[in-house]
Amino acid sequence: MAFTSLYFLIFAAVVVCVYYLIPSGFKWVWLLAASYAFYLLSSPKTFLFVLLTTAVTFLGGLYIGKCNREHRDYLEQHKAELSREDKKTLKAQSQKRKRRMVVLILALDFGILAVLKYFRYYLQTMGLFDTGTLLIPLGISFYTFQSAAYIFDLYRNKTEPDRNIGKFAMFTAFFPQIVQGPISRYDQLAAQLYEGHRFEWRNLTHGAELILWGFFKKLVIADRAAVLVNEVFGNHTDYTGGAVFMALLFYMIQIYADFSGGIDIARGLAQCMGINMTHNFIRPYFAHDLSEFWNRWHVSLSHWCRDYIFYPVAMSKFFGRMGKDLRNVLGDRVGKLFPVIIAQFCTFLTIGLWHGAAFKYIAYGLYNGIVIVLGLLLEPVFSRILEALHINRESVTWKGFRMVRTFFVVLVGRVFPKAVSFTAAINMFFSMFRLNKGVPFSETMMSFGLTQIDYLILIVCCAVWLLISIYEEKTARKEGGAGEEAFRSMLDKKPLPLRWGLLLLMLAAVLVLGIYGPGYDVSAFIYRGF
Amino acid sequence: MRETVLEILTEIRKDIDFENATRLIDDNILASLDIVAIVGEFNDEFDVEISVEDLVPENFNSVDAMVELITRAQE
Repeated sequence: MAFTSLYFLIFAAVVVCVYYLIPSGFKWVWLLAASYAFYLLSSPKTFLFVLLTTAVTFLGGLYIGKCNREHRDYLEQHKAELSREDKKTLKAQSQKRKRRMVVLILALDFGILAVLKYFRYYLQTMGLFDTGTLLIPLGISFYTFQSAAYIFDLYRNKTEPDRNIGKFAMFTAFFPQIVQGPISRYDQLAAQLYEGHRFEWRNLTHGAELILWGFFKKLVIADRAAVLVNEVFGNHTDYTGGAVFMALLFYMIQIYADFSGGIDIARGLAQCMGINMTHNFIRPYFAHDLSEFWNRWHVSLSHWCRDYIFYPVAMSKFFGRMGKDLRNVLGDRVGKLFPVIIAQFCTFLTIGLWHGAAFKYIAYGLYNGIVIVLGLLLEPVFSRILEALHINRESVTWKGFRMVRTFFVVLVGRVFPKAVSFTAAINMFFSMFRLNKGVPFSETMMSFGLTQIDYLILIVCCAVWLLISIYEEKTARKEGGAGEEAFRSMLDKKPLPLRWGLLLLMLAAVLVLGIYGPGYDVSAFIYRGF
Repeated sequence: MRETVLEILTEIRKDIDFENATRLIDDNILASLDIVAIVGEFNDEFDVEISVEDLVPENFNSVDAMVELITRAQE
């Protein structure tokens, strides 16, 4: 059941209406029933895998929680007689116990993910395991990463274990987020899911506005840009020069509109029920460097990698010692940065592998890692160049240049995950610099299946999106926070006819300008397969 | 201790007004690289062991929160 199908809209409307009709104490039961119904309707054959991950994580979580409690109680009871060293030893013992369980749970949870998503081809060809009949469970990467975050947080004593398997099952499978995230944290989302929210007009309108905005981005912008992208990437040997560049440019628009549109629908639906899910995009194309880009793009995955991969590696004693040893060889600065460099590569390798097991995804991760690490290592050189050229780092021109530069660094990197293979990606990259002699560019642009009207619609819609983004960015800088509610809050203050007029205009745009197939079918979200 | 913490922070990020900032993490003012550098300096300077478990926004949102974190780690 795709987010963009009519069935889903009816399903969502029924879920929201019933949610507000039943007593508070039963609302979570209803959400669990709805989430499991959604999963069974969407991916019935893989439902058992969700149950397995839920059960394993829940039981393992209880054990880790028990270790935490026993450790805490012991410290409390023997506070007076314990020295600092004793406390350290006790902590190490408790962590050892917990670590064994963490390894076991993660091996099971990630083992399922690895077998079904990454190694199925190899296991099949080696004749070790018949994976041919197994489907990849819907949202497996999202719910596995979310479950792992819960276990890590318990290990770090950041949260208490859930003692109700029904409620925990709902946290794992909450239907708006299971398809394509965001990857929520237990301490941020669980309490909101379990609490029965009372009806609030603002939640309903803001949620509905976000859903409509998500549909607009997906159907009007992403699916229109996809026509050109699919044509060029699907027949990449036929195109060179500007055509390849345009395909990458349109892919930048498509992937952002598609993914953020899907997230808007998910978050909007949750908001209709008073549940605020974490944001996943903070206007990523306004980033000034690649690190900042990853702090704004797919934020829930980036932050997952930061908290559970980057920090543990960058702060590990092992790499710290190694860095100290290397200071004699590589110099003070590089030695100091060594753990961070290793951590960056581990992080981006994970981000690459998140997209799939093919080498092109690993190349995508490495590309991002290399650019960021080079930026770190060459920072003193860049600083000297800027000083020599008397460039003011705070000037609008310099900031604008950095923004455009980052956009193109991201654009080039995107050729890896989108091209059919690593070789195709490399070929496409170099073909960008070969001019397509003989055929005028305007003629090429008309050969992709998009009409002049389509280009006009894309330009106007992207301009509207850009203006809203600028407004949100300015508000965020002025008031702090992500600024994602800024535009909707501003709309709230406008006269009712204007507000409704804009919403109806948006609805009309979705219905009239959206890209639909026969029977008003639409294409699937790019991240739905994850 | 507060003065030393401020000195360390300013050394790492000269562009931030640490004295008045209260949402250094929540508003993405400090990046993950800064955090790693700050923790490294704190561990060396105050002979403490701030670990990954302590890396929560509440501990790094302001100078006072960081001072409190170091004090806790010294106990």
